[in-house]
Amino acid sequence: MTDLTQFLPDIAWSSVAPEIAMTVAVVVLLLMTVAGRRRMWVATPMGLAIAGVGVALLVVESTSPADPSLPGLLAIVAGVALVALTFGLAGVPRALHAWIAGLGAGAALVLTAWQIFDVAWTGSLFAASTTMEGSVAMDGLAIFTRITVYLSTLLVLPIGFAYVRDRNIHRPEFEPLLLLSAVGMALLGAANDVITLFIALEVLSIALYVLTGSARRDRRSQEAAVKYFVLGAVASAILLYGFALSYIATGSLELPGIALGMADPGSPLRLLAVSMVLVLVGVGFKVALVPFQLWVPDVYEGAPTNVTAFMGAATKAAGFAAMLRLFVVAWAPLADLWVPIVAVLAGLSMAYGAWAALVQDDVKRLLAYSAVAHAGYATIGIVSLSDAGLSATMWYLFTYAITSITALGGIIAIERRNHRAVSISDLNGLGRTSPALAAVMSLALLSLAGIPPTLGFEGKLGVFTAGMLSGLTWLVVLGVVTSVVSAFYYLRLMGAMFLTDPAPDAPVPAYSHGWNAGVTVAAGLIVYLGLQPSILLDLAERAAVLAR
Amino acid sequence: MEFLTDNLVTVTLLVPLVGAIVVGLLTESDDSARWVALGASVLALVSSLWLLVGFDPAAGTQAVDSLAWIPTLGSSLTLGVDGISLVLVLLTTFLMPLIVVAAWDHGDRIKGYLAAFLALEAAVIGVFTAQDLLVFYVFFEFTLVPMYFIIGIWGGANRRYAAVKFFLYTLLGGLTMLAAILYLYTAGGATSFAYPDLLQAATSLSLVEQRWLFLAFFVGFAVKVPLFPVHTWLPDAHTEAPTAGSVFLAAIMLKMGGYGFIRYCLTLFPDASRELSLGTGSGFFAVPWMLVLAVIGILYGALVALVQPDIKKLVAYSSVSHMGFVVLGIFALNSTATSAGVVQMVNHGLSTGALFLLIGFLYDRRHTREISAFGGLAKQVPVYAGFFLLVVLSSLALPGLNGFVGEFPVLLGTFQEVPWAAVLGSFGAVLAALYLLWAYQRMFHGPLVGAANESTTDLTAREIGVMVPLVVLIVAIGVYPQPLYDLVEPAVDTVLVGVTQ
Repeated sequence: MTDLTQFLPDIAWSSVAPEIAMTVAVVVLLLMTVAGRRRMWVATPMGLAIAGVGVALLVVESTSPADPSLPGLLAIVAGVALVALTFGLAGVPRALHAWIAGLGAGAALVLTAWQIFDVAWTGSLFAASTTMEGSVAMDGLAIFTRITVYLSTLLVLPIGFAYVRDRNIHRPEFEPLLLLSAVGMALLGAANDVITLFIALEVLSIALYVLTGSARRDRRSQEAAVKYFVLGAVASAILLYGFALSYIATGSLELPGIALGMADPGSPLRLLAVSMVLVLVGVGFKVALVPFQLWVPDVYEGAPTNVTAFMGAATKAAGFAAMLRLFVVAWAPLADLWVPIVAVLAGLSMAYGAWAALVQDDVKRLLAYSAVAHAGYATIGIVSLSDAGLSATMWYLFTYAITSITALGGIIAIERRNHRAVSISDLNGLGRTSPALAAVMSLALLSLAGIPPTLGFEGKLGVFTAGMLSGLTWLVVLGVVTSVVSAFYYLRLMGAMFLTDPAPDAPVPAYSHGWNAGVTVAAGLIVYLGLQPSILLDLAERAAVLAR
Repeated sequence: MEFLTDNLVTVTLLVPLVGAIVVGLLTESDDSARWVALGASVLALVSSLWLLVGFDPAAGTQAVDSLAWIPTLGSSLTLGVDGISLVLVLLTTFLMPLIVVAAWDHGDRIKGYLAAFLALEAAVIGVFTAQDLLVFYVFFEFTLVPMYFIIGIWGGANRRYAAVKFFLYTLLGGLTMLAAILYLYTAGGATSFAYPDLLQAATSLSLVEQRWLFLAFFVGFAVKVPLFPVHTWLPDAHTEAPTAGSVFLAAIMLKMGGYGFIRYCLTLFPDASRELSLGTGSGFFAVPWMLVLAVIGILYGALVALVQPDIKKLVAYSSVSHMGFVVLGIFALNSTATSAGVVQMVNHGLSTGALFLLIGFLYDRRHTREISAFGGLAKQVPVYAGFFLLVVLSSLALPGLNGFVGEFPVLLGTFQEVPWAAVLGSFGAVLAALYLLWAYQRMFHGPLVGAANESTTDLTAREIGVMVPLVVLIVAIGVYPQPLYDLVEPAVDTVLVGVTQ
C-alpha cells in the first residue's frame, strides 16, 4: 500500500489560521443570506461542523491535557456561539449578520495572538519563516499587519452598524465583503511571492470597490466606486506589468528570489529599474502617495463613512505592508535607486496633503487629504531602510488606523440622521450640544496632529526617530513643518466644535450601542497607548523581522 | 505618608492633575468645582513648600522620582528639582490658588475653565521638573491644549484667531525642538532621553551641529518667552484671553522659555551658546546675537507699549520688554546676570500677574480696557489705585520693590560682559517708567469725569484677598531678596561652569 498522504500538498494551516476563520465567517454569512428565514438549517450544521473541527484539532494538536490547542478551543466556542447567536437573534437578521462578522474578526484576532505566542515567537523576537512553498511569509510584518487589520475590522463593524441601517444601505453582502476585504489585506501583509501578493491585492480591492458603491441611491457613492474601480484596475495592471518585468529579469516570483536575482551582477539593471518604477506606481496608488493620490478625496468623500474608516485604516496598513515587503526585501539590492525617489514622494505627500487639506470644507475630504499626508509620514520609516524604520512604519500605521477610525466614527454619528455630507460648519457648537462626541473627536484630531500625549504623537515620534537614525534629517524637518500646517486644519475642526456657537439647523448626532462600544474602545486606546505605548510599541519593535 | 514625602515632585504634579480630572467629572453645582479646584491648588502649594523645606541648594538636582515610560526608546518619567526649577515651581503653585480665587465668579462654564487651569498647572510643573527630554517635550507641548481652550472658549471677541495663532506659533517652536532632540539622541548615540545621557551625547557634537541644534531649541523657547521677532502671538493672545488666562500665560507660561534657555540651550550646546551670546566667534558669529535680540525686545516692547491705547495690550507689550531683560541676563553668562535673570522671571511673574489681575478686576466693572475711558479713578477707587500704583512701581523696578532686585543685577552683570548691551538695555528701564506711569496718570489722576468713572466700585474683599499675598511677596523680595538668590545661584553656577569652560 502506498501512503496516499505523500500526494497531498503540505499546507501549514497555522500560518493562515486567522484568514481561515474569517473566510469561514464569510461562507456562513453568505449561506445564511441564501437560506433566508430557514437560516437555522444553515447555522446548526455549520456550527456543528466548526465545533467538530475544533474537537478534532483539540484531539490531534494538543500536546497535553494541560496545554490544549487554542484554535481547537476557539473553534468549539465559535461553533456553539454561532448556533446560540442564530437562536438568540432570530428576529433581527441584520444584527445577527453583524454579530457573526464580529465573531469572525474576533476569532481572527485571537488566532493572531495565538500565532504570536505559539508559532512565531522565539522568546525575544518574532521568528521569520515561510510556508506553502515560500509563498506565504510568517514573520513580524505579517502578524503585526494582521493585528492592525483585524482590530480595525472589529472596530468598524459595530461603529458603522446603525449607520448603514439608517442609510438603507445595509445589504446582506455588506459584512461578507468587509470580511473578505480584510482577508485580502491580511494576506497582502503575508504574501511572499508576487502572485500571492497580486491575488491578495485584488481580493481586497474588488471587495472595496463594491463596498464603496454600496450606497446605491447616492450618486457620490456611485461616482466614487467607478473612479476607484477604473483607477484601481489601471494601477493593478501597472503593478502586474512590473511583476512581469521583474520575473523576466530575475526568473523568480518569490520576493527573496527576486532580490537574489537582482544581486547577480549580470542582471539587466535597466529592466529592473523600469519594473521597480511600475511597482512603485502600483503600490503607491494603494497607499495613496503623491502623485498617485488623485482618487483619494473623491473616494473618501463618496464612500459610506464606515467604509471610508475601514479603507483609510486597514487598506493603508496592508498596502504599506506590501510596499515594505516589496522594497525592503525584493528591491533591496536597488536601494540606492529607489530610496531617493520614495523619499521625495514621501516629502511631496506630506506637503501636498497638508496644504490641500487647508482649503477643504467637507470634513471627509479634509480627512482624505490628511490621509495623504499621513501616508508620507509612514513612508519615512520605509526609506529609513532599517529595523527601526520597519517597526516605526508598522507602529505608525497602527496608531493612524485607531485614530482615523475614531475621527471618522465621530462623523458617522453626525451623518447618521443627516443625509448629506458633513461640512465644517456642521460641527459648529458641537462642544455645547454634544460635549462627549466633541471631546472624542478632538482627542482623535489632536492625535492626528501628533500632540502629546496621544497615540498619534507616539507614532510620529517613532517615524521621526527612525528617520533621524538613518540620516534623513531633511525629511524629518519637512515632517515637522507639515505637522504644523496640518495642525491648522485640525484646529479648524476643533475650533468649529468648541469656539463657535451652535447653528439652529445643526445636524443632531445619533448614537447606538455598537457605536458607543466601538468608539469608546478606540478613544480609550488613543489615550491609554498614548500614555503607555510600551505594550504594542515593544511588539512592533520585535516585529521588525522579515522573511527573506 | 512615606510615599508622599519620598515623591514630593510627583505629588506636586499629580495633585492638580487629579484635581483637573475630578473637576471635569463633577456633575454637581459650580460651587463644588470651585472648592475642589481651590483645594487642589492649595495642596499643590503645600506640597511644593514641603519640597522647599527639605531642599538643599548646594546639592544640585534632587528629589528625583523615576518611573519607566517607553523602555524601547529609553525614556522614563523622571522628575526632579534644582534651584531654578524649584523657584519656578513655587511661582506656579503660589499663583495658582490666586488664579482660582480670581476666577471665582467666572460664570461661564466654570467647571471646564477650572479643569483646564489645573491641567495646565500640572503640565507646567512637569516642564519645570522633567529630567528626561522626551518627557519635557511631552509636557511642553501638552500645555498648548488647555491654553488653546482657555483662550478659544473663554476669550474675547477675536478669540479664535488668537487661540489658533498661539497654538501654531508654539507648536512650530516645539516641533522644531523635537526634531533637534531626536537629532541629538541619534547623532550623539545616546541610549536614553535622560538629561544626563543627552548631556553626554551632546559633547560629541561639532560646532556647526551645535549651532543648528542651538537654533532649533532656541526657536522653541524664543516663541514662548517671547523674543522679537516671534513675539507677535503674545499681544493677540493676551488681549483675547480671559483674565486668569492672561495671568497664567504671562506669569507662568512665558517662564517656560526662559527656563528652557538656561536648562537646555546653555548646557547642551555650550560652545554655540558662548559664541552666540558673547560674540566670541568670527565673522557672523562675532556679534552677540542673543544679547542683540534681547535688547531689541526690550526697546521694541517698551516703545510699542508706549503707544497702546488699551491697558491690557500695554501690559502685554511690557511683558515683551521685561522678558527681554530676562533673556539679556541669561545670555550674559555670568553668575550675577544669569541668576538675576532667573530672579527676574519670578519678579515678572508676580508683578505682571498682579497687573493682569487688576486690569481684569477693572474690566469686570467697566467692560472696557481703553485707557482714555478712565480718568481720575484714584478718588473713586482708592484701594484699587493704591494696589495698582504699587504693582506699577514694582514693574518699573523701583528700588525697594522686587523688580529692582532682578533688573539691576541683570544690567550690572551684562555691563561686565558686553557694556553696550547693558547701556542700551537700561533705556528699557527708563521707557518702562514712562509708559507705566503715564498710563497710571491718565487712568487715576486728573478730574473724575463721566458717569461710568463716578460709579466704578472699589475692590471687594475677595479681590483684596487675591492681591494681598502678591503685594506682600513683591515687597518682601524687594526688601530682602537674598533667600531667593541663595536658592538660584548655586544651580546657575553649575550651569555656567559648563558653558564658560
